[in-house]
Amino acid sequence: MFEFMDTKKPLYRRLTDALSARFAYASVLAEAHADRSWSISRSGASISTRGMTGGTGCVARVFDDLGCLEYSFNELEEESVPVIVLKMEEMSRRERGLLPAGTRPLPTPLPEETPACFRRETAWKTDPWELGDEAILEKLRSVRETGLAVEGILDVNVRVNCKRYRQIFLSAARDLDQTVLQMSGSVTALAVRGQEIKYYSRPYSILGGAEMLETLGSDVEDVCRAALELLDSEPMVPGEYECVCDPAVTGMIVHEAFGHGVEMDMFVKDRAQARQFVGRRVASDLVTMHDGSAVGEVATRFFDEEGSLTTDTVIIDHGILKQGISDALSAARLGTAPTGNGRRESYERKAYTRMTNTYFEAGTSTPEEMIASVKYGFLLQNPASGMEDPKNWGIQLMVNVAREIRDGKLTGRIFSPIVLTGYVPDLLKSVSMMGRDVELSGSGHCGKGYKEWVKVSDGGPYMKARIRLG
Amino acid sequence: MSMFSMIKTGLARCGADEWRIRRVREESAELFFVGRDLDTRRAKSVLRYEVSVFVRVMEGEDVKKGMTEVTVLPSMSQAEIDRLLADARFAAGFVLNPDYAPADPVQHEPRRSGSRLAAMTPAEAAGEIAAALFAADVHPHAFLNSAEIFAVSTHTHILSSEGTDVRWDSHTVRGEFVVQCKEPEDVEIYRSFSYDEPETEALQQLAAEALDFVYDRARARKILKSGEYDLILSGNEVGELLGFYAMRSNAGMIYAGMSRWQPGETVQSEGSGERLDLTLCAQEPYSEEGIPMEDRPLLRGGVLCGIHGGNRFCRYLGAQPTGDYRRIRCTDPGTASFEELKQGPCLWAVTFSDFQMNPMSGHFGGEIRLAYLIENGRAVPVTGGSVNGSLLAVQGDLAFSRERFRSSRYEGPYAVRMKGIPVAGTEGEET
Repeated sequence: MFEFMDTKKPLYRRLTDALSARFAYASVLAEAHADRSWSISRSGASISTRGMTGGTGCVARVFDDLGCLEYSFNELEEESVPVIVLKMEEMSRRERGLLPAGTRPLPTPLPEETPACFRRETAWKTDPWELGDEAILEKLRSVRETGLAVEGILDVNVRVNCKRYRQIFLSAARDLDQTVLQMSGSVTALAVRGQEIKYYSRPYSILGGAEMLETLGSDVEDVCRAALELLDSEPMVPGEYECVCDPAVTGMIVHEAFGHGVEMDMFVKDRAQARQFVGRRVASDLVTMHDGSAVGEVATRFFDEEGSLTTDTVIIDHGILKQGISDALSAARLGTAPTGNGRRESYERKAYTRMTNTYFEAGTSTPEEMIASVKYGFLLQNPASGMEDPKNWGIQLMVNVAREIRDGKLTGRIFSPIVLTGYVPDLLKSVSMMGRDVELSGSGHCGKGYKEWVKVSDGGPYMKARIRLG
Repeated sequence: MSMFSMIKTGLARCGADEWRIRRVREESAELFFVGRDLDTRRAKSVLRYEVSVFVRVMEGEDVKKGMTEVTVLPSMSQAEIDRLLADARFAAGFVLNPDYAPADPVQHEPRRSGSRLAAMTPAEAAGEIAAALFAADVHPHAFLNSAEIFAVSTHTHILSSEGTDVRWDSHTVRGEFVVQCKEPEDVEIYRSFSYDEPETEALQQLAAEALDFVYDRARARKILKSGEYDLILSGNEVGELLGFYAMRSNAGMIYAGMSRWQPGETVQSEGSGERLDLTLCAQEPYSEEGIPMEDRPLLRGGVLCGIHGGNRFCRYLGAQPTGDYRRIRCTDPGTASFEELKQGPCLWAVTFSDFQMNPMSGHFGGEIRLAYLIENGRAVPVTGGSVNGSLLAVQGDLAFSRERFRSSRYEGPYAVRMKGIPVAGTEGEET
């Protein structure tokens, strides 16, 4: 798969060199994506090769006196190299006359790249393409049938996606080549009463291949029972409560509430409060937060879509905000080092600072100890959605399940849906217990605002904190 | 040989006798600003062929049909195309569902967009929109923080084995911007826009309103108490709310059992409020499947006029396939002016961090970034807290404003008032 990129590589290099001869800096990112998703539900079975992200094509980046200029294309033959160079020269010279009068460049030093050259690949046990559609769909059908046997269930939707991609990044200093295989999926049970439908979803993800299917749906009956329980859920009485978050809810807090706030392109725009808090306490001593490729999950890679090498960034160290994460342009503007977080939805889109695998480190407590310590509060499970607010560190997270805890025991009462709100540092400073085991999950995609979807994972351990619920 | 011919050759070689090819050429110019400083300029020119391959087989006594989609790139050779399409046809045999008829064939002369954007290059359109946005940036206390502008021209051509042959072009300028006010609190408000004409005046109005709102947000206090409020939503949030009816009447949702709505059913519960008149609005002449799209009545007097959706699920339900709609129009005239709608104690929630309408549960809500707490004729800007309401519980008592609103997703009354919506307050948060 992707062997055609070996044939094309001399063209990518020729284009990079031709652009380098005309501009102060030039790079080319070429990528090819193979996506395949399978799903089984009451609507039927489906196979799709349309990925939510990625694509097969190239983006060329140059710098002129107005700053960064990019051109995305997916037709590259011998004769098109001079055409692309001409197009970018036109953009640089003629089209600047179409900009609003007085447009100035945002001051941006040229990227400094130390030389690097490698070709790397992530590991997997079972190639989904070799395993084949029939075997994968059979597994999905089996999981669904087990779930449908639970009385009262309307439907069980089982979905699996895999993505294999290869990227080649070329500049004067760099020649990088990576191939990554990731797989993710979900099992969602639906239950209905009257006009209201309740659902409960369980995510799965892996940096690897179809070996993920070994665990897919192992707890499908629990997922179905959780959906049925939601039919009897009650509306939440608004207030601030002691809460125990399961690893998935911890992950959503890590990602939405704090992670977006340390994306340093937001520092450049004066859109993130975190910039003023670097070096200061933003969380309790129990909180240490990472982003990067030190763990193997769906966002692990060797370099980002600007050719910056990935790393492990410690964002919060025992409650102190140490640094943010950044793309190459933001790092140049802020005078910091890029952290390998310049990511694109595809070669057709701009690169922004984006998270990869983001998580809180483990502590020493067990979930049982946390629940036992709560006088009155809730066990929060099954995150639904969230939205970032880097500017004001406001929290908006939607959670599907809040299980009531009274005098250290679960009472069996369930509340849903739940909106988590409040001020991020207040929540993180209130963290009083952190679990022993870290779990990461990356079944979905992350947007920047309302667009620019990229694959990420997030997680952490069970976590106890005071949270405002509504 | 043209790509269309190569793909047809590949389809014939793998024995696919039902197929659809969708050729899409997209060109864009994109501008990214921090303040008024240029962050990045971008352009793109991409071409792809999306091919749907169908198979029909006997399974016992039943005819079953499977389908997969693949993307053919212009750089592919005939051998690569042959292999890709043969794999697609093979895979389609593993996803067999009940049989259904193909989309009805349509032939038409190429439809040329009448938009003024069609006469401009994407770079010209992006520059004009940027200039308009900057011209609105004149508030004495608030300012434009950043903006992204995308001018996109799309040329689409659909062919099918049934004889469909339609082509059209569309042109949009869309984007987003953030406005900021630094005193007394440093806050921002996000806005997005999408136009199929260079609507510079509408954009300037949107920006001016956002600048006023962010100025108020900077002075807003966290004094909202938890409780039930008469809630007013305005602008795009009204469209999001009413979009529930479009989602619940989609054939895919009905076929999956997630909605039990049927044409002729009264889907809006009885109450003292206005009876809903909603229309689905076509934004393109054809759907992705080549189905001709036109404006269609969705609700009249709270009664469902018909279901809508793509070919497969509409065929299963015995309905005429309509294509998938992304825009609704509410033709309820409204019973009060917006000023009258705000009479009496209420909470006008102006912006949320992310307003969500859940089509399955009927719940709507989000965290409030700016609201006006209206009591005794005074409107106090407040921030924080969250709304968590159920449309199913209040849909019989909706009251609309007479003022109208128009965006790419929604056209209709500017505001709606709903009774007794649960709001989680912010008591104790303000220091």
